[in-house]
Amino acid sequence: MSIKEKIQELVIEWDEEGLKKYCQLLLKNEEAKASDLLKIIGEVMKFIGDQFELEEIFLPELIGSAEVVKATIDEILDPAIRASGEEKKTMGKVVIGTVESDVHSIGKDLVGSFLFSNGFEVYNLGVEVTADQFISKAEEVGADVIGLSSLLTMSMDFQKHVIEELKKRGLREKYKVIVGGAPTTEEWADQIGADAWADDGIEAVYKIKEILNKN
Amino acid sequence: MKLKKIEVFSKDELETIHSATMTLLSELGIKIDAQDTRDLLKKNGAIVDEDTLFVRFPESMIMEKLKTVPDSFKLHGPDGSFSFEVNTKSTRFATIGTPVKIRDLNSKRGVRKSTMADTIEQIKIVDSLENIVCSHIDVWPNDVPYITIHTECIYQWVKNTRKPYGLGCLGKLASQDMMNMASIIVGGEEELIRRPRFIGFMNPTSPLHLPKLMTNGFAIFTKYKQPTIIAPEAIAGSSSPVTLAGLITQTNAEIVGSAVLSQILNPGAPIFFGTVSHITDMRSGNSAMGSVEMGLITTGIAQLARFYNIPSRGPGAGTDSKVLDLQNGYERLQTLMLAAQAGVNYITCAGTYEATLVEALELLVIDDDLAGMVQRTMEGISVNEDTIGLDVIKKVATSKTKGVNFLAESHTRKFMKSELYMPRLSDRTRRSTWEKKGSKDIIERAREKVNQILEDHQPNKLENIMEEQLLDYMKQVQSRTFDDYKEAEGLRVDSITLPDGIEIKSNQK
Repeated sequence: MSIKEKIQELVIEWDEEGLKKYCQLLLKNEEAKASDLLKIIGEVMKFIGDQFELEEIFLPELIGSAEVVKATIDEILDPAIRASGEEKKTMGKVVIGTVESDVHSIGKDLVGSFLFSNGFEVYNLGVEVTADQFISKAEEVGADVIGLSSLLTMSMDFQKHVIEELKKRGLREKYKVIVGGAPTTEEWADQIGADAWADDGIEAVYKIKEILNKN
Repeated sequence: MKLKKIEVFSKDELETIHSATMTLLSELGIKIDAQDTRDLLKKNGAIVDEDTLFVRFPESMIMEKLKTVPDSFKLHGPDGSFSFEVNTKSTRFATIGTPVKIRDLNSKRGVRKSTMADTIEQIKIVDSLENIVCSHIDVWPNDVPYITIHTECIYQWVKNTRKPYGLGCLGKLASQDMMNMASIIVGGEEELIRRPRFIGFMNPTSPLHLPKLMTNGFAIFTKYKQPTIIAPEAIAGSSSPVTLAGLITQTNAEIVGSAVLSQILNPGAPIFFGTVSHITDMRSGNSAMGSVEMGLITTGIAQLARFYNIPSRGPGAGTDSKVLDLQNGYERLQTLMLAAQAGVNYITCAGTYEATLVEALELLVIDDDLAGMVQRTMEGISVNEDTIGLDVIKKVATSKTKGVNFLAESHTRKFMKSELYMPRLSDRTRRSTWEKKGSKDIIERAREKVNQILEDHQPNKLENIMEEQLLDYMKQVQSRTFDDYKEAEGLRVDSITLPDGIEIKSNQK
């Protein structure tokens, strides 16, 4: 069984501990570099994402796999890459969250999983995230994209507020902003000056790749 | 627990219907055209009036003979690789109807006469479906001469599916052909009898009449123990009393009388306690298959079937609509769901509309999805420590992460497929995704699935010797004339009118 096959098996089985131990062992025995493992895991997640789009597997299988992989990257691979002084290659860094006064998280979490499965580095800030929190995190990690979610017509205005705050701080051009959520529309995104709008997680991946010219 | 069955009769009412049935069968009986059938019944205790041809069944004889009717049986596909059981608790879905036309948007009226090419496509599609377990000669091959339809269809059946097949018991000659061909296919009569491949259908003519052609074929099907559906198609207000209790009593007599005959012909022969009865539309005189009353009748017959401990067959997915519209949709699901809730063990008519006179392959794949939904509904809600899931509720609710959900929990993964039915054709996407995929409605999506199935379908590889034997047999049948059939069946008629008005004339080959 190749390294890739073994990793794929552990990911599909949701064997988080198994995957961590296996990666640690490979690193310890110098059978693979952390950056190589990251690349292999990316290929595995791409495979799982494709399976999902082909309706071969279901949402929980995709999200569960993504969580297993994320734990391994955060705890094992990222520290190893930092220690080796290598630069981590990703599709881009995305800071996402649900805007102020809104506690709906599932849709935004799905978007995060889809992005992660497609090779993006995702910083999920959770719910009721203020404009300042979005911007501070983006500045801290050197994000490419800020993703703003809202499920309530009442909270939609806070998407606009984040964009205005970016402008106020002279940072609007530094980040691409994508908005989404059930009550939002393409017109709304245009109206508030966002760079893109997506209706669901799969579309969010395409749109972000598009605004980053990665398609 | 599983969903409770709905019932239309109290215990007392059931006894009342049974008792009225016994009175009808013992005081009037059933008119039986075939001399040999009357003689056989007489030998077994029936009282025959040779002037009126009515055969009366004493209650003691009925109850004695019903004892040998099996309460379960298995059906197998041509090569035996696919099989399913029908018993007094099962819920199975199948086709059957009398579609002589098929939906075709290229034709001027949206429908055209069906041909053998359509018959073959329907067999292939049923072969690929998950929930529909059997196809029958139902999409009528109008382009094949009447006297060879059964042999041509059996040949296409063995070539194109792993599932069993249904055929009408239309006469002894044709029925014997069916058994002979099936014996060639499965490697002998013994195997055919041991593991049946065919479902027969025998329709008494309401009120209280068993025509010769039917009893002739029925004798062959029971001899070979191929499970046979006894299904009167009484129509309340025209071929039975308008009252549903009257219709049910009359058809119960027709079914019970035929069931007694089956056990005299061959004790232990499997049968279905069936119905396709419905009502007369009092505005037009047409029969109404999408009516709610059909569901009530089906429910009553299913209850009687349980009373006699015999597997039942009833119609579902019935509609009178002429197009694939909302009426078509609500009538088909309503009758399908009601049949399942009534506890019908073999639910038929998938793929048809316009009172089963027209087939739409799109509806066939939609019905497969509906059958899945209905099956899931019948499963009800399973309650135990695991399904209640206190641990996972506590885990997710107390998670430190802000904004959490159950999607990535093992509990979800473990139970999602058994708890949630995932329809293949229903659209549940967001509007933008739906638009991106072409803004297609259910019929368009169903058509795509039909095309995909037909493109991917691989025919069965037949052994050369078997295929030669089959083709030889079919040649012999081709050389027969319509008069050969009449003679074999002892019929003195110039033509036969099939259901839905197709007339076969004497000079027609």
